[in-house]
Amino acid sequence: MSLIANLARWEWFKLRRRWMLWVLLVFAILFAQLAVWGGYFSYQNLRTTGGELTVPASLQSQQGRAPRTVACNDLLSGDAARMPSDLDAQVVAGLAAQCRQQAATLPARTERAYLGFTLPGSLRSALSIVQTLMLILLAILTASAVGIDYGAGTLRSVLTQGTGRWTYLAAKLATLLLLTGLGLLVALATVAISSTIATNIAGAPPAAAGSTAATWSDAATAYGKAWLSIVPYIALVTFVTVFARASAAGIAIGLGYYFAEQLIILLFSSLFSWFSQVADFFLVRNITAFTGGGGNAPIAGGLPDETHALLVMAAYTLALGALAFWLFEKRDVAGATGGG
Amino acid sequence: MNAETEYVIETKDLTKRYGDVLAVDTLSLRVARGGVFGFLGPNGSGKTTTMGMLLGLVHPTSGEARIFGDPARHPATLRQVGAMVETPTFYPYLSGRANLTYFQGVKQRGAKADIARLLELVDLGKRADSKFSTYSLGMKQRLGIACALLGDPQLVFLDEPTNGLDPAGVVEVRELIRELGRGSRTVILSSHLLAETELVCDNVAVLSRGKLIAQGTIQELLRSHDTTRIRTTDDTRAKAVLAEVTWIESVRAEDGHLLVEAPAERVWEIGRDLAKRDIYLHELTPLHRSLEEFFMDVTGTDPTTGRTKE
Repeated sequence: MSLIANLARWEWFKLRRRWMLWVLLVFAILFAQLAVWGGYFSYQNLRTTGGELTVPASLQSQQGRAPRTVACNDLLSGDAARMPSDLDAQVVAGLAAQCRQQAATLPARTERAYLGFTLPGSLRSALSIVQTLMLILLAILTASAVGIDYGAGTLRSVLTQGTGRWTYLAAKLATLLLLTGLGLLVALATVAISSTIATNIAGAPPAAAGSTAATWSDAATAYGKAWLSIVPYIALVTFVTVFARASAAGIAIGLGYYFAEQLIILLFSSLFSWFSQVADFFLVRNITAFTGGGGNAPIAGGLPDETHALLVMAAYTLALGALAFWLFEKRDVAGATGGG
Repeated sequence: MNAETEYVIETKDLTKRYGDVLAVDTLSLRVARGGVFGFLGPNGSGKTTTMGMLLGLVHPTSGEARIFGDPARHPATLRQVGAMVETPTFYPYLSGRANLTYFQGVKQRGAKADIARLLELVDLGKRADSKFSTYSLGMKQRLGIACALLGDPQLVFLDEPTNGLDPAGVVEVRELIRELGRGSRTVILSSHLLAETELVCDNVAVLSRGKLIAQGTIQELLRSHDTTRIRTTDDTRAKAVLAEVTWIESVRAEDGHLLVEAPAERVWEIGRDLAKRDIYLHELTPLHRSLEEFFMDVTGTDPTTGRTKE
């Protein structure tokens, strides 16, 4: 164990000198900020407009114009100066009726928007955005960290130092998992700061409308799930990189698989009814089910339940991880392959 | 590590097969502690594969390899060993110093001050903080040697250490290898530059097509196949007389002399045997062959190209 801890320490020595790590962290932070500031501007928009309606081009008196939005506060104000002058009175009346219908849910929507960018709800919102991005960023980082030893041929130099094979790979993966956890924490810390600033700018909270607020415990659960969901994906990318002895293969599969799986499910589910049952054992689908089922978030329609998702993720992690370690241990080590 | 072990390396029937190709064929080798041991063979003779098996990089098909009496591929054993196998490989985005710091860290041997000392030793002090990717082949080679010496190992493998070095660098590295081989440390030098090897090695093993075909001190190997040039009062009769002596391997006439292949320790008997038949020596000159000539004779190949001798 102390050998793995020492190797992990030196893995960090190498990783922290790579610009890629810091660029990926900046991306994660920027995307996390979207949750706060996107939520904040959405809240402000709801407050100032009372909700917006889109007017399709076909309902506009001047043909050939692009669809436009109108604010419900303008339509319901009764002030002629604030009414859209380029729309027929009949259309305006119809839109106003829609706004009156929506006005009933406006307090709840406003409150939900407020809770989305204020603590602790903002943490969960940020995690839901960052989680998908993290899979992609981690695929790049994992493939790069594992693949460089093949590309530069350094695996030979490392193993002759008496690191041991499985301990070296284990230390590498442990470092990546630890960095993922820390990276998420850093991103969430910046979210917490932005959230505090946005809350102060927003001023007094809207009147309570019975929306359920996320708790700190929900945020912690979402953090744990986001971190855990990355483990099988790291196992997948590690296996591909070790199998191909190239970081390029790991990056390609890491990025491609995420989108390919969704396309395959979409295509084959429409062709064969039984395919949705097969798809319930696909990796990304189960990751989505696992993280989407966290806290108070509703499970998206048709996704497997959380326990099923956890078991499938564990099976993928064990199978791909075991294959990666077996290949790493068993194969002879050659020179540099020239990849990154 | 078993400090009492007489042999630092022992292999028994070590074999590596890649499909139909037999890279190393039942190699049984013993390397005694101390000195510089030359590991010779033409390209493709199995030197690097054997080193790979000793260093845990290549899995043997069968047989056994031990270092300091312990299984060779065991991580704890390898931490007592320094190695530079083929072209040195390091992390291109790290400096020479950072690379050594990293490798010292994973090896968990030696002090921080060793890094500066080793960088100076291989004359990389001024470029220590430049990225490895900017190094010339010679500089990479020097860094590889420095890395192999991290932790002051008792056994050092150096595979073609003078590759890419300028003539001055070759001399420096040769001196360094000699220095390293003094005392109880053992240096395993793999090379096809036989003139270099002859200058620094105490013992050598010669591999050809994966098989060990000769092993011993350089003096022993060269002496065992020595040729003696003689000129007598009657060369025709002398040739006939010597051809009947059982311990003489061969006698042939060449350029007005007779060339006799015989064990060096019995050469004195030639004069005695000829004198009994009233044939007297005008000249008896032992001809010492170079390691290169010996190598070409025993392997039947050119040491540099590995091609079969014409």
